[in-house]
Amino acid sequence: MIQRMKPVTLLATIAVVLSACSSGNTSSSGGGNVTLTIAAVQGVEDTGLKALKPMYESSHPGVKIQIVEAPYASLYTKLVNTFQANDATYDLVMMDDPWMPKFGTIGALTPLEPLGISKDGDVAQVVWDVGTWPPPRGAVPPSEKDKQKQLLGVTIVGNVEMFMWRKDITPNGPASYDEVLANAKAQNKPNFAGYIIRGKATNPVTADFLPILWSFGGDVFDENWNVTFDNAQSVAAIKFLVDDLKAVAQAGPSSSDASDRDRIMATGQGYQSSTWPGEINTAVLGPGTTVTGKVGFEPIPKGPGGKGVGMMGNWMLGIPKVSKNQQAAADFIKWMLQKDTQMTYAQNGGIPSRTSVLKDSSLQDKNPYFSVLADALTAPPNWRPRTDQWNAVETVIGTELNKALAGQQSAQDAATNASKQIRSLMKQAGYPTAQ
Amino acid sequence: MTAGASGGTLGTAPAIPPSRGPLALPARIRASWSERSRQERLALRLLLPMFGLVFVVATVPFILAVIRAVTSDTGTFVGADNLGRALSNEQLYEAIKQTGVYGLVFLPTEILLGLGIALLVHRTVRSPLVRAAIYVAAMIPIVIPQVAVGVVFRLLYIPDYGLINVLLGQTGHDQILWLSNPSLAMFAVASVDVWQWTPFVYLIMFAGLQTVPPESVEAAQLDGASSWAQFRHIELHYLRPLLLLVLFFRLADVLRVFDHVYILTGGGPGTTTQFLSLYLYRIAFDFSDLGQASALAVVVMAFMTALYTVISRFLPADTN
Repeated sequence: MIQRMKPVTLLATIAVVLSACSSGNTSSSGGGNVTLTIAAVQGVEDTGLKALKPMYESSHPGVKIQIVEAPYASLYTKLVNTFQANDATYDLVMMDDPWMPKFGTIGALTPLEPLGISKDGDVAQVVWDVGTWPPPRGAVPPSEKDKQKQLLGVTIVGNVEMFMWRKDITPNGPASYDEVLANAKAQNKPNFAGYIIRGKATNPVTADFLPILWSFGGDVFDENWNVTFDNAQSVAAIKFLVDDLKAVAQAGPSSSDASDRDRIMATGQGYQSSTWPGEINTAVLGPGTTVTGKVGFEPIPKGPGGKGVGMMGNWMLGIPKVSKNQQAAADFIKWMLQKDTQMTYAQNGGIPSRTSVLKDSSLQDKNPYFSVLADALTAPPNWRPRTDQWNAVETVIGTELNKALAGQQSAQDAATNASKQIRSLMKQAGYPTAQ
Repeated sequence: MTAGASGGTLGTAPAIPPSRGPLALPARIRASWSERSRQERLALRLLLPMFGLVFVVATVPFILAVIRAVTSDTGTFVGADNLGRALSNEQLYEAIKQTGVYGLVFLPTEILLGLGIALLVHRTVRSPLVRAAIYVAAMIPIVIPQVAVGVVFRLLYIPDYGLINVLLGQTGHDQILWLSNPSLAMFAVASVDVWQWTPFVYLIMFAGLQTVPPESVEAAQLDGASSWAQFRHIELHYLRPLLLLVLFFRLADVLRVFDHVYILTGGGPGTTTQFLSLYLYRIAFDFSDLGQASALAVVVMAFMTALYTVISRFLPADTN
C-alpha cells in the first residue's frame, strides 16, 4: 500500500498532518482579536504576571495573553536571537535591567511614550531612568552618546538588593559594614555562619559583591569608562569580601548560590547576608522556614565613606520594534501600572514598583520588606554599568573573585587580573578605556 | 537483513558500472533512478524527510557557523581573524587542559567500571528476573535529565546542608568542600558523569557478552583457561567493536558536557571546571563574540571528524 503511494500523496498527507497541528495551536492560544505573546522569565519574577493574565483577559474581551516562559539563563540568549532575526513572535518581553544596554544599542525595542505610557511621580525616578536608553546619568557608551533618550522599558518587578539579618538575635540591623563584620565575628560559631556569602562563579558572586564595592567607594568604571576596579577603594572592598567576610562565613562560600544562601538563612544556620526581594517570600520566609518573624530587612549598610549603595535588578516589560501588536501591548503595560492593578499584583505574589503600593499598610504583614524596598528605590540604588559588554565584564569579575574566594589567588591579584582583562575587553569593544 | 541477501531487497539492484578513480561517485549514487529496484526507490523516498531534517538542523547551522567563523559582526569577511583571536586567549588552553583531564581520567573509569560490572553480572547472575531488575536499575540514571542529576548531586555535595556533609557532621567528621576545593571540584563534577553513564557502558557490554558463543567459552574452560584468559582471548574479541562504539559516543559527550557542570560549580572554583563546552558558551553568550565562538566550534568539529574517522577504521563494517 505504502509502496504504491506517489510522492505527491505523501507530501499531501504530511501537509494535512502539519496543518492539523498548526490549527490546534491556534485554537489553544487564540480565538480573540489580538493575542499578546509575552516572553517571561520562569520563577518568582513572573508569578504576579501570571496571576494578572486571566483578569486582563476578562476585562478586555478580544485580547488573549500567552505567556512563554524561559529560565533566566536562557531567556537573554533567546531574546537576543529573536531580536537579531527580526522575529515578531513576542509582543512584550520581560528584561532584567542589565540587558537594556544590549537591547537599546541594537535598537530592538520601541519607544513607549509615543504609545501613551507616561511617567508619574508615584513611581521612583530611578525606575523610569533604568528603563531609559541611553542612560540619563552615569557613563554612556560611545556609540550611544548622540542618540535621543527614550523610555524603552517599564518596571514590573521592583527589585533592589537589600540586607537581611536575624532580628531575634540583635534587634537592630547593622548600620555600616564595620558593624556587619563586628556582628559576624560575634555571632559566628560552628553550624552558624556570621555572614552568608553568595560566591558561586560569574554572575552570583558579582551580584553579591557590587553593593559592597560601591559602598566602599569603589567601582568598575569611572564616568569615562576607565577601569577603576584596581584602585585603592575597590581593592579594599575585595579584601573585605575575600578576607574579612570569608573568615566568618559559611564553609566553602565559593560554591554557594542564592538558593544556598536562602536555605542557610531559612534553616536558621546563618545570621546575615544581602538578599533580593524575589527570594524573601518564596525562600527565606517561604514554606518550611524556621525563621518566620525573626528576620529583619534594611537597605544596604554604609561603607567607610558613610554611603550604602544598593543594586537594582528590576525586571521590565518592553515592546519589540517588530511586534505587530504594539498599541495593544502598550495598553497592557498601562493597565499593569494602574494602582489598583498593582495592589492585586502585590496580593498575588508580584513585587510592585509604585511607592504608594509598597508603603500600603495592608500589604506589610505578608511582605515585611515592601516598605524598605520603597526606601531603597528612592535612595536611589545604582544600576550595573550601562554597557552591552556587561555580561563579559561580569563574567571576568565573577571568575576572578571566585578564584580569590576559593583561595587560588589574593584579593590584590583578583583586582589586578580582572582589571587587565576588562581593559583589554573594553578597548576591543571601542571604549575609550585608558590602558 | 544484510546487504547481499536475496529476495528483492536493497542488495538486488541491477549491475552497476565500477567506479572510475578515487573521486568518482559511488556506483550506487550514479545509478539512475529508473535502474533502481522498486524497494530501493521506496527506501530512498522514505529516507528523504530524514535527510531533509538532518540538512536543516545540522548541515545548515554548520554552514552558517563556518560563515560566521570567517566574518565580523557586520558580515565583512575577516579570514582567520576570529580564529586568531580565539587561539590567543590563554583561557582556551586552560579549558582544553581541563577537558583533556576530564576525558583521559574519567572516560576510562566509566568504561572499565561498566565492563567490569557487565562481566560480573554475565558470569554470576543466572536468574532472568534479577538480570531484568539490574537492567531496569541501569536504565534509571540514563533517562534522568542531566539538569535534574546536577541538582540532586548539588544537594549531596553542598556544604552545611548537603547530605554527605550532614552525615559527616553527625559522625563527628569535618565537612568536605567538594564543590569549592579546586582539587575536589573536578572529582565532584566527574562523579556525576560516572554515575550517570557507567550504566550505559554496562548495558552495551552486557548485550555484547550475550553474543559470545557459549561453546567457545565451554571449550576454553575444558582446556583449563583462567577467567582472565577467557576474557582476553574470547570475550574481548566480541566486545572490541562495542568498546569502540562506546568510546565513539562518550568522546562526543565529554566535549558536550555542560548541564550538570553549570549547575554544580558554574565552571568554578575559578576556572577549574570550565570545560571546552562551557568556555564556548561563555565566549558566545557572555562575551557576545559569536565569531570567535563559531571559529572554535568549527575547529572542534574538524578535530572530532578526524578523530572519528580514525576510530571508525577500527569498527567492522559488518559484525557478521
